[in-house]
Amino acid sequence: MNKCTDGEVREMLPDLLHRTLPANVRERVEAHIARCEECRDDLRVLRAVHGAAVFAPRIDVDKVVRQIPPYQRIVPPTELPARSRPRLVSWLVAATLAIGFVGIGALLVTQRDDDIAPAAALAVASRAPALALPADVEGLSDGSLVQLMNEMNGFDALPATEVVDPVIPVDAAENIEQELR
Amino acid sequence: MTASPEERPEETDMELIDRWKAGDSRAATRLVGRHSQALARFAASSGERDGIEELVQDTFVRAFASLDSFRGESTLRTWLFTIERRLMLDRRRIEKRSRETVPIEDSDQVSEYGALDALIAEEAQERVRLSLDALSPTQREVFTLRVQQGLSYKEIAEIVGSTEGAARVHYHNAIQTVKEFLRDE
Repeated sequence: MNKCTDGEVREMLPDLLHRTLPANVRERVEAHIARCEECRDDLRVLRAVHGAAVFAPRIDVDKVVRQIPPYQRIVPPTELPARSRPRLVSWLVAATLAIGFVGIGALLVTQRDDDIAPAAALAVASRAPALALPADVEGLSDGSLVQLMNEMNGFDALPATEVVDPVIPVDAAENIEQELR
Repeated sequence: MTASPEERPEETDMELIDRWKAGDSRAATRLVGRHSQALARFAASSGERDGIEELVQDTFVRAFASLDSFRGESTLRTWLFTIERRLMLDRRRIEKRSRETVPIEDSDQVSEYGALDALIAEEAQERVRLSLDALSPTQREVFTLRVQQGLSYKEIAEIVGSTEGAARVHYHNAIQTVKEFLRDE
């Protein structure tokens, strides 16, 4: 048996069987088959397989159609969009909320850092008058004076900032004079 | 004279679908009548033994229930084959039965032929059946879709979830196997 040299035509044999080829292509295929033993052999097999297919049971069309519910009852026209739209919207809302929460959180953290400095400044400022002692102490009420005294009791001693001459004991001074003599 | 709806053979599947959606049940009858035998043949040649009518019926019920998802990118028949194939796979998975191919119903065919013709046809069918049994499940699907249904490789690839190239390879391997089987008989 000679081997087929035209794979394209050989692939069209089922189409020839089903008569779906245009006239000009069909002529080309038939001309090829006339001189190609392998394609004739293929076609015989294809006809046998195709012919064997007629033994499928006959389908009762009316019986099948009776089982098909009306269109409206199965898939309402608005069901699919209605189902998909809320899902999309809910995702968008969730994403927006998430972004909003993150943004607000970041803003709050930033503001909190900024608020710490003024708060500390206020605390120092509130103490500043007490440290400076108002010039007109006599103008203070008794309650204010008591408060001022209490606050002053709470002050830590300030470190000495001036250089103080060393204190020499008397005994030590006499010893020094004797040594100088 | 105006042709009645039944006298419009050139009406496309999409037109019939639109008519059915508009409430014309005769459009469903025409669609089922147009494609039911092809579905039955595909099931039979794919090795289905029992319940082919139920299988075809389930295919149509499912298809009509989801017609909104059919965009007409493939032919309706290709889409129906895809649904039927999934149903067959589900059946086999559930029932776990063997994939042996056995003639489905001979009663209809016997009534159409004479006794001798029926015997010859039966023998021929038996030989073809045995040769198809020698194929792998995918080879058999591709081969029968190409030979018995006349589908293109592109359509076959859509149905079996493969590529056109792979479908070609399956077809060529299948026809070689079938030829060798029939030659050895």
